Amino acid sequence: MSTTQQTTSGNWLDANGGVFIAGIGLHPYQFPTETPYTELGLTAVRAALLDSGLAWDRVQSAYVGTTSIGMAAGRVMLRHLGSTGLAVTQVENASASGSFAFRQACMEVATGMSDVVLAVGVDKHGDGRRAANKDGLERLSETAAIPAAKFAMMARTYLRERGASVEEMANVAVKNHGNAARNPFAQFRKPRTLEQVLASPRVVGDLTVQQCCPRGEGAAAVMVVSGNAIRKLGLDARRCVRVKASVAGSERPEAQYGDSAVELVRTSAQAAFDQAGIAPKELDLLELHDAFSVEELLYSEAIGVCDSGEGARYLARGDSQIGGRCAINASGGLIGMGHPLGPTGIGQLAEITRQLRGEAEGRQHPNARWGMAHMIGLGSVSVAHVLSASA
Amino acid sequence: MTDSKTSLKPLQPTLYELAADGHSLNFFFAQCGACGGLSFPANAPGCMHCGSPLSEAQRVTRPGGGELLEFVTLHVPLLPGMAAPSIAGDIRIAPGIVEEGVMAVGDETALRHGMTVRAIVEMKPEEGVYACRFLPVNEGAAQ
Repeated sequence: MSTTQQTTSGNWLDANGGVFIAGIGLHPYQFPTETPYTELGLTAVRAALLDSGLAWDRVQSAYVGTTSIGMAAGRVMLRHLGSTGLAVTQVENASASGSFAFRQACMEVATGMSDVVLAVGVDKHGDGRRAANKDGLERLSETAAIPAAKFAMMARTYLRERGASVEEMANVAVKNHGNAARNPFAQFRKPRTLEQVLASPRVVGDLTVQQCCPRGEGAAAVMVVSGNAIRKLGLDARRCVRVKASVAGSERPEAQYGDSAVELVRTSAQAAFDQAGIAPKELDLLELHDAFSVEELLYSEAIGVCDSGEGARYLARGDSQIGGRCAINASGGLIGMGHPLGPTGIGQLAEITRQLRGEAEGRQHPNARWGMAHMIGLGSVSVAHVLSASA
Repeated sequence: MTDSKTSLKPLQPTLYELAADGHSLNFFFAQCGACGGLSFPANAPGCMHCGSPLSEAQRVTRPGGGELLEFVTLHVPLLPGMAAPSIAGDIRIAPGIVEEGVMAVGDETALRHGMTVRAIVEMKPEEGVYACRFLPVNEGAAQ
C-alpha cells in the first residue's frame, strides 16, 4: 500500500505501512501464588519475542498494563532482558489496562515515532483498592462500587425484559468453561455442565460462582510493529495480524435505567467497525468482557453480532461456539481463561492473533478472517480493537 | 454530627439526617445554580448534570426515598465484615439520580421493581451510629 493510499483511507492505523501484531506470548493465568510478577511478565515477553523473531534490542518502547503491582513495574521487570534504554510507560485502566497499553503501542507505531513496540500486561492479585473509594464522597451502600452487584441487577433486568431464563444465561459459562478447557493458558481447564454451573454456590442474585470470573494472576505480551518494520526486519508477514481499528471511550449519562454500560459497548464497537470498514456480522471471532455471564448476552447484542434481544438464542443455537457464526470468547473468556486484570485485554488480542493465524490448536475457529477484542474497565471505560488476518 | 432526636450519629453524615418522625431519613442534595438540577451527595465537586462547580449551589433537604428500579440478594459477603445475605437495590432518589441502597426486608418477596421505597433509620447503638435502609412505602406505613 502506498503512502498516498494510506492517507486517503482515513484510518490512522494505516500510517507507517500499517500496524501489526508480529508476536504473542503468555504466562498461564492461575490462582494467586508467591511467584514474583517479574517471572510472570518475563515469561510472556520472552515468548512474544521468540514468536515474532525479534531481538530485544530492536524494541524501542514498552507499555506495561497493570493494576495491582505498584509504581514503576515495567523497568524493574524489563531490565532483566537487557538495559537497552527503551522508553517504558505504565498504563492502569482497571480491567482494560492491557487493552489501553496495546492502544498506546498502536498509536506510537502509527505516528512513526517507533517501529517496534512491546505491549505487556502483568498482574498479581492485589488488595482491590480503588480510586472510587478515595473520592471523598460517601455512598448509601458499601457495595455501590462493586461490579458483582451491578451486573447481577443488570442480569435481573435482562432476564425479565428478554423473557430469558436463568439456565439460558448460565449456558454462557458452560460454553466458556468448555473453551477454556482447550486453552493451555487458561486458569480453569475443566468443562462444566449446566447442572454444575447452576449448582455452584450463589454469589449475587442469579449469578453462581461458576458464572463469575476468578481472581488470579498471569501475563500476556504482544509485539506491535509497523508494516515498514516487517519488510526492513525480514519478519514473517504471513504470521503478522493487522490492526484495523482502535477505539476508546467512556460512559455517558444513561438514557434509561441500566443502559449506560451497554450503550458504551455499543458505541465503541460501532465506531471500531466503521474504522475497520466492516459490519458486525462479518466478525469471525469476538473476545469480550464476560466477567459475569450476563455480559456476554448483553454485549453480543450491543456489538451487533446478533440482533437486539437475540443474545440467548444466538448462544442456544450454537452460533457463538467455536465453529459457529462468530466464536465468542474462544479463549474461554474472563469466566474460563481468567481475569488477572492487567493481562486480560492483551490475552484477548493474543487469542485472536493465534486464531487468525490458524494456530489455535485444539480450538481453532475455521476460516477466521476478522476478530474484535472488546474490553470495558471499571468506571466505566471501553476499548475496542479489530484485527484482520494477513492477506 | 449528633442528631437532636438521638444520641447516635449518622453513619454517613454528608448524605442524610434523621427526620422529625424519628424513623425516616431526609437526604441532602445540592441544587445547581446554573441548571437547577439536583446532585447527590450534596458535597459533590461538580453538578452531575451540567458540570458546574456547584459553588453557587443551594443545599436542599428532601425526604429520602424513590422508585425501586432493581434489586438482588447478596448471598455472600462481597466485602470483609459485610452482613450476608442482604438485599441491595437501585433506587431513583431524584430525577437523573440512581443510588444503590440496602433494603430493610428479609427476602425479595416483599419487593417488586417499580415500587416506591422510603429511607428509614437503622439504629446501631453498639457502633454509636444510625444507618440508612430502604423499606417499601406500604410496609413503612404499617409501622
